Amino acid sequence: MRLHLSDDDIVRSISAHSPEGIEALYDRYGGLAHTVALRILSDRGAAEDVVQESFLTVWRRGSTFQPGRGSLRSWICTIVRNRAIDRLRGDRHRTRLDTPIEDESIEPAVTDPWVAVAIELSGEEVRKALAELPAEQRRTIELAYYGGYSQSEIAKAMEVPLGTVKGRVRIALDKLRSTLADRMETPWQTQ
Amino acid sequence: MADAMTHDEVADLLALDAVGALEAADRELMERHLATCGPCRQAAAQYADLASLLPAALELAPPPARLRRSLMAQVYAEATAAPRLPWWRRLIAGIPENRAFTVVGAAAVVAAVALGIWGAGRNAAPAPVTYSVSGTTATGVLAVATQPAQAVLTVKGLQPLPSSKVYEVWLIPNQGSPKPVGFLSPGVAGGPWTAVVPGSLAGYKTIAATVEPAGGSATPSNTEVLSGQLAES
Repeated sequence: MRLHLSDDDIVRSISAHSPEGIEALYDRYGGLAHTVALRILSDRGAAEDVVQESFLTVWRRGSTFQPGRGSLRSWICTIVRNRAIDRLRGDRHRTRLDTPIEDESIEPAVTDPWVAVAIELSGEEVRKALAELPAEQRRTIELAYYGGYSQSEIAKAMEVPLGTVKGRVRIALDKLRSTLADRMETPWQTQ
Repeated sequence: MADAMTHDEVADLLALDAVGALEAADRELMERHLATCGPCRQAAAQYADLASLLPAALELAPPPARLRRSLMAQVYAEATAAPRLPWWRRLIAGIPENRAFTVVGAAAVVAAVALGIWGAGRNAAPAPVTYSVSGTTATGVLAVATQPAQAVLTVKGLQPLPSSKVYEVWLIPNQGSPKPVGFLSPGVAGGPWTAVVPGSLAGYKTIAATVEPAGGSATPSNTEVLSGQLAES
């Protein structure tokens, strides 16, 4: 089993153009990246392409991660989400789930038990917190994050004023924040 | 135009940006405010981290084993084929993030970059050729070596970006489409931004950088922050 590397260790390794850095990044966040891509695209083949392209981009161009601008987790999530949304927008006409499931072994990308436990705990808390949101707030976030809809597109789809969309997203995230505050990696600070 | 937004108004935009719904006009307002507001930059990072927890609510969908094999086979193949990383890049990568990086230190790294290029080609090539680059707030230099064929772009005066954005570097040919060649990486503790541009610059007339979504774009957006002509200065 790989020794536990901190996210800072992984960033330094990637910056030094070390294959081990990409390997560690994938082992820690590959499962999350694949989950995000599959949720957005609903197409296993396309999701795998997006994950591979995302990690290869990090490898070929080096880490552009900026400490203090969010966590390594949010950085890789953003890269994968942006690529998946780009693909979705160019692929809306395709039939979803049209890629056959190959009969082969499945192995978790997360190989460190500590990380797996942390993600599982976080997942349970996030599920509970999301379930507590009013349906329209939850739907607004889902349309944006997983559907790739812009603020105007959401307003049109939900038949509400643009200002309502802006308010809903912030209120929803603030409520999630207050529910999850004690689970966040760093204390949330309000202005 | 002056930034007339309140923190409260910006918070609405930060939340939209975190979930990927922010549109261009509002993004411009948000980024203008972020350029001068530390607390809101911190809030932006926190909203981004919060949004990144959303997928945790999904049932984890483990990727197939072949995806890891395919990815790492490609990575190791490219690592074997690529020239070893220059010593000055390993040096920069090895600087701990929390170490104070003084003006003298920053100057030393810039000098090391120039010497590294000169040193790499000292047996067969002349000193590197340099080109000036500039933008509204940015100034910099592109130092080009011929052996090995690579260049280093060093830039000061760029604003920090949210985690969802990067500065992408482009080479614009005499004919054809701009070619993405890398990203500018921020210096430690406010030091200059740097990017390595691999390969020869033959056939290219301009170098430029734009603001693009994290991960980069296939074609540059209309957000140029600097450019420079590839004619000797």
